[in-house]
Amino acid sequence: MKAVIFDIQRNSFVDGPGIRTTVFFKGCNLRCKWCHNPESQSLKPQIMFYADKCTGCGRCRGITAADTDFICFNDAKQICGKEYTVDEVFAEVVKDRSFYENSGGGVTFSGGECMMQIDFLYEVLKKCKESGIHTAVDTAGNVPWEQFEKILPYTDLFLYDVKAFSEKLHKEGTGVSNSLILENLKRLSGRAEIIIRIPVIGGYNNNIDELKDIAEFLKDIEFSKVELLPYHSLGEHKYDALNMEREKFSVPDKADMKEYKKLF
Amino acid sequence: MNERISELSKLTLEGKMLPTYTSVKFDRMDLFLPEHQKQSKRIYDYIMAQKPVITEYQTMTGHMKLDVKEISGPFMNARSLKNTDEALRYFYNKPIDNLSTFEWLHATADFGKIIRMGIKGLIEDIEKSKQKYKDDAEKISFLDSLKMVADALIKWAHKCSAEVFEFAQGLNNAEYKKNLLRLSEALKKVPQYPAGSFYEAVLSIYILFSYEPDGLGTLDRILYDYYKNDVKKGILTKEEAKEILQELFLMLQANTRKGSANFTRGGESHFCVGGYDENGEDVFNDFSMLILEAMCELPTYIPQISLRWTKKLPFETFLKVLDMSVNDKNNRIAFVSDEVKIYAATHIAHFPYEVACRYSSVGCNELTYPGGFFAGTTNTNMLRSIENTLYNRKDELLAADTWGKFFDIYKSELFKDVDLMIRYDNEFMRIRAKDTSYVTSLLFTDCIESAKTFTKGSCKNVVSGADLIGITNVIDSLCIIKQFVYDEKIITMSEMIDALKNNWSGYEELRELIKRRGKFFGNDDETSNYIAKLFCETLYEYTKDKTTELGYHLLFGNLQGYNPHHQIFGSGTRATPDGRRDGEMLKFGIGQSGGYDREGLTALLNAVSKCDKHCILSGGPSVTNLYLDEKLVLNKDNFIKTAKLLETYFKNGGSHFQLNYVSQDDLRKAKIAPENYKNLRVRVSGFSDFFVNLTDSVQDEIIRRTVKSN
Repeated sequence: MKAVIFDIQRNSFVDGPGIRTTVFFKGCNLRCKWCHNPESQSLKPQIMFYADKCTGCGRCRGITAADTDFICFNDAKQICGKEYTVDEVFAEVVKDRSFYENSGGGVTFSGGECMMQIDFLYEVLKKCKESGIHTAVDTAGNVPWEQFEKILPYTDLFLYDVKAFSEKLHKEGTGVSNSLILENLKRLSGRAEIIIRIPVIGGYNNNIDELKDIAEFLKDIEFSKVELLPYHSLGEHKYDALNMEREKFSVPDKADMKEYKKLF
Repeated sequence: MNERISELSKLTLEGKMLPTYTSVKFDRMDLFLPEHQKQSKRIYDYIMAQKPVITEYQTMTGHMKLDVKEISGPFMNARSLKNTDEALRYFYNKPIDNLSTFEWLHATADFGKIIRMGIKGLIEDIEKSKQKYKDDAEKISFLDSLKMVADALIKWAHKCSAEVFEFAQGLNNAEYKKNLLRLSEALKKVPQYPAGSFYEAVLSIYILFSYEPDGLGTLDRILYDYYKNDVKKGILTKEEAKEILQELFLMLQANTRKGSANFTRGGESHFCVGGYDENGEDVFNDFSMLILEAMCELPTYIPQISLRWTKKLPFETFLKVLDMSVNDKNNRIAFVSDEVKIYAATHIAHFPYEVACRYSSVGCNELTYPGGFFAGTTNTNMLRSIENTLYNRKDELLAADTWGKFFDIYKSELFKDVDLMIRYDNEFMRIRAKDTSYVTSLLFTDCIESAKTFTKGSCKNVVSGADLIGITNVIDSLCIIKQFVYDEKIITMSEMIDALKNNWSGYEELRELIKRRGKFFGNDDETSNYIAKLFCETLYEYTKDKTTELGYHLLFGNLQGYNPHHQIFGSGTRATPDGRRDGEMLKFGIGQSGGYDREGLTALLNAVSKCDKHCILSGGPSVTNLYLDEKLVLNKDNFIKTAKLLETYFKNGGSHFQLNYVSQDDLRKAKIAPENYKNLRVRVSGFSDFFVNLTDSVQDEIIRRTVKSN
């Protein structure tokens, strides 16, 4: 069994408690307009091309996304996404075991939407959990409830994204309804530790009423904390490299962020 | 910091607390004396002719500068020793066949013992030794010269006492006058007699430091009983203790000439706090913290302190000291691990545990023991053995059809260079032994008992260790050979040799491929971890039972911060399999840089901490220089995670690290426009300095170090 992974980042401080390794799965069933990892959306390996770095040497002639071993000497052409077996992912994850144990960290499966490759996710979670590694799943939650049931025994923590409460707004920003997402969150409540993550996107959901509605909804949910993630523009160049259209959003005001935090 | 210390700090940084030399017209009749007596009498006359520095703000005095042009062999300062100085002229930063250079020694007087027994106690030991050697005229003559130096130290204190008393008479400020009268009284007692209080103990160190001006040792252990007893008796408060310590630390800064490169560098005045005691308990306590706080409050560059980390040190304490370290704009704190240092000292240098646990760090964190020194320091180009293998043994290499056979050929070159290094080390020690050092020998262990100068093998508490420069290049080169020639068979050995001989010309594509796909050290992959372990193991097996002629076991370090050895050696080394071109400098210390560390900080720390299970790289500095992004330091949660990361590194077997948190961008700008970045400080190895003061090559290396952020 294999999964398409586009990055394994060791020493992550931002994807849950302690020091973690974050495994980024390719493929997502949302199309968030502000997505800072647009290369995560497609399930398949893709070519990313940074035109400004290309010297026209021609070494990449005929290269396709399947040539995952190809190396461009100018870093202009990169193959994003590679197939991994469960054992290969585990071998990377287990390298930092001592750092997890000493810091209360572990592994986080993220994406894209890691739950789209649920069978693989189940196997790798099971393997990590059974070897004593703390496990977290970073999800947007837009998958059938049965998939949560499946991985619950091997998942210590969910990093659960809530992007909007208003269905209309959600659909507008992500392309999908949030009814399944919110329903899954209700069902998940009390069954595992949950950290709620809310991206705050200037020009999308950075209005106090929308965030108040989310806070109101969360009153019935058991979670350990809420993290507000302000929009950043660091992913913009990747849209160009993938030849994708991008929309312009803004970084929310710092003072506003402080106000928003008080809601949760 | 109170007003008095603040005034003293100001004077110190203005260079006004530096004692001046007073020239002496030596009696020509001295020439009739036997050599030992001639030299010790001149030291005596010199000391007695000096003038103490006295201002109204002091509660201590007696520090001095020994003018090495005037007297021979006062202490181990190389320039005062004729033969050593000559060797330095020819070999300092001038390697023999691009292999080895000749460097300084580092040392720590046994201040703990001397303040407990007083100079008087040393004189009694001299008398006992004279009885022992009563039939050996040479030894008696040497011991008499030590006694004359001891007398000078006592009389100097008495002279200071009288001058302080005199000065105090003219003072109006009652408090300052009281301070100086107390000082005058105390100088009648110490360092001649055992110190009876915390103040006297510190004063004793203050006055004796000038005669062995290098390390202070394990200051929290040396002074703790005095501190505890005085606090218990109600004659000392914590604040007063801090003030006394600050005055000692200011003297260390004051004794360095303003304007010299060393004024803003800290390494030469290193000491340690914390670490295991004789019973295996961690000694770090409130007093250790007080020492750190006292130093951090001062606006000075000297001294610098290494925290001795142990598995028993509470995380909260480690976190607090790390916090002090990153908030100290003068970068005066480094971190070393007792787990590694003590293991090496007991298993490789064969010190009994009760001695091994008393180590301190001096200079760039070289290992020293009380009353002993770090010998050797024959810095050696490790990459030469790779160069010799590939350039001189082509026929054998072409016949080597397995990695194992290749490695055997490499090993023979490595061992040849290690043997040469030891040979040069012995030669240099023989040169040092031609000089006699009178003051150092008085303050070191075993010299009085054996009636021999310290360089003649009398000292027991010595480790001998060269700094092995370019280890990372060696590991990387071996990795590339294994991966590209033997495992993946991307090129043949013949092609590799040809590429190197042509300095990669015609092989640019191969070089790019190596840079991008090569399994380089620090990425925690199977190949590079295996090679790193194999290299350390090979070095350990070959050297573990070897000693120098004086019987000192070998423990190595891997950089020396003061000199650009990596540049000097690199300039004479041809292209190597790691993608290095002819003449390019070697990598600094152990670690990875220049974008070759692709897997992040945990991978790097794993690779470094796990490669050397025997701890053979623990005698000298074995620094992992970490340049952290401000984001990891300024955010509290991230900072705690960073501390956990570093603690894990130590728990896994890491030996030494130091933190910088400056942006790469700032460093680049500082290099281009130094006038705008005069205050930007970085740690280089055991010492820190202003970035703009560093040589070009060291600046470039620091810029190349990956700024680790998240």
